[in-house]
Amino acid sequence: MELIINGEKRELECNNIVDLLDSLKLNNDTVAVELNKNVVHREKFDNTKLKNNDILEIVKVVGGG
Amino acid sequence: MNDDKLKIGKFEFNSRLFIGTGKYENFEIMKKAHEASGAEVVTVAIRRVDLRDKSKESMLSHIDTNKITILPNTAGCFTAEEAIRTARLAREVGLPNWIKLEVIGDKKTLMPDNEETLKTTKVLVEEGFTVLAYTNDDIVYAKRFEEAGAGAVMPLGAPIGSGQGILNPNNIKIILENARVPIIVDAGVGTASDSTIAMELGADGVLLNTGVALAKDPVKMARAMKLAVESGRDAFLAGRIPKKLYASASSPTEGVVR
Repeated sequence: MELIINGEKRELECNNIVDLLDSLKLNNDTVAVELNKNVVHREKFDNTKLKNNDILEIVKVVGGG
Repeated sequence: MNDDKLKIGKFEFNSRLFIGTGKYENFEIMKKAHEASGAEVVTVAIRRVDLRDKSKESMLSHIDTNKITILPNTAGCFTAEEAIRTARLAREVGLPNWIKLEVIGDKKTLMPDNEETLKTTKVLVEEGFTVLAYTNDDIVYAKRFEEAGAGAVMPLGAPIGSGQGILNPNNIKIILENARVPIIVDAGVGTASDSTIAMELGADGVLLNTGVALAKDPVKMARAMKLAVESGRDAFLAGRIPKKLYASASSPTEGVVR
């Protein structure tokens, strides 16, 4: 299915957010995820299903002032 | 023991210096600068992960979270919607539920958009965040943020990263005289004396990033800022003498050998 992740189109097969983070090789302890502009709580990563054309933001902490 | 604590919402600190994590040459220098600064609060930003970046090093592993409370910011946000989403994501990353709220209105000067910031403050306060609102050195908006439930108001000393110091000490003073929440001078601090001036005016704290991170020796500048903030705070509490037009002798005027 096609997903838009951080503004980029990606073709990925994944059932839920845990799958998605695994396939992107991201550590799910250090990121936060937004699905179609709504924050997804960490404990709901495994039962949040993804569908075609979903828009995701995956963020982490970086240096700032 | 230090009983002069800084209290913002449910957060309490001995140090009145907040310091950033941006622009350092590397994490090693950043960590040493944080130690030298004695800061108990450091700011961070929230950004998209780079899907191509294979290095999985997290900046958080270079922050001593036993001593330091992390304060996420909404830097780079231009609308209330972006700032609200960023704050929610910051909380979800596992950071404490407080936020340095920064909504920018102008790309070139990075001046805050007070209207959007105020709108965001109301929403985030409602959601349980302690909001530290970054704003101009403007008494009217400082009051508005306070009324909207901000835990602290953070007027700028000068534009972000400009290092120009406290450009309008009178405005900061007026804000301080009327404030019922802590006032943290944020942005514009270029060198130690700028921090001291802010603290002597009665500011509750100083937040800075560039002044330390881009100094030739960031670790030494971090220590200088620590001393400057402490020195300014002590001078404020001690109460300075009024300025007078004429001299007043320090030694007895009687008994001089003639």
